[in-house]
Amino acid sequence: MNQIHLKICAVDEKHVRISAIPPLLAYALRELPHILEKRDSPEVHARLFPAPTEKDLQMNADWKEFTTPELRHLFISAGETVAQDLAGMEPEAEGANLWHIEFLANHVDAWMSAVNQARLILGELHSVTDSDMERKDLDFNNPKDRAILIIHALAWLLEELIRFGDGEDSLPSA
Amino acid sequence: MTQTGTAPIHETDTAESLATPWNVIVHNDPINLMSYVTMVFQRVFGFARTKAEQHMMEVHQKGRSIVWTGEREQAEHYVHQLHGYQLTATMEKVEV
Repeated sequence: MNQIHLKICAVDEKHVRISAIPPLLAYALRELPHILEKRDSPEVHARLFPAPTEKDLQMNADWKEFTTPELRHLFISAGETVAQDLAGMEPEAEGANLWHIEFLANHVDAWMSAVNQARLILGELHSVTDSDMERKDLDFNNPKDRAILIIHALAWLLEELIRFGDGEDSLPSA
Repeated sequence: MTQTGTAPIHETDTAESLATPWNVIVHNDPINLMSYVTMVFQRVFGFARTKAEQHMMEVHQKGRSIVWTGEREQAEHYVHQLHGYQLTATMEKVEV
């Protein structure tokens, strides 16, 4: 997968382009809004909205009442931004097996949030462990393996987004 | 060095209790990327990359890292920010 050169670059001062998106990542991105809808599943909720202490039940309850709604709003907002951007994902050329997408540069943080949320949601829904993440024998037709493949594909994109945020590969693509 | 004539301040028990520092702790998980955790530490705490990577490695290898210690209100603020970045973070009073 990494042999394909996924590229994130600034198109101009206000726009970013992700190009050479391979089929698995394109699939993961199309699935992303559906994955994010599962953020309130019981298995996922405690991971995305964790308690602030390990022992103080009163503080945890207060936290849940006062901070969780704001956090939830933040996560939903990021997901909506990315879902709207994803409507613009197109093939690189007619019949091509690679895709590209352009969006506003100030959406990059929303992308990082939404991509990471989706990875965590899949991880919780499928009880993914450290050893699962090391597996090489993944079968796309197996639901848990498919989730791990999506987690890896989104990790690749997240790494590139972080690199882009660090100022690497940020020159306009002539 | 010359000392000023200011009288020492004797804190009350309540004041001492309020002043008890809190640790902000980040916990390991199998999904979050090392590069992502490093980036979050740089953004939230303003750590230099080297320091951010040291804490990230401590989280990765030991399962947790105390990333900040100080007043409760600021600790709450940091934990809230870390949760916003989807890291598992907690806070606890420093054992005296």
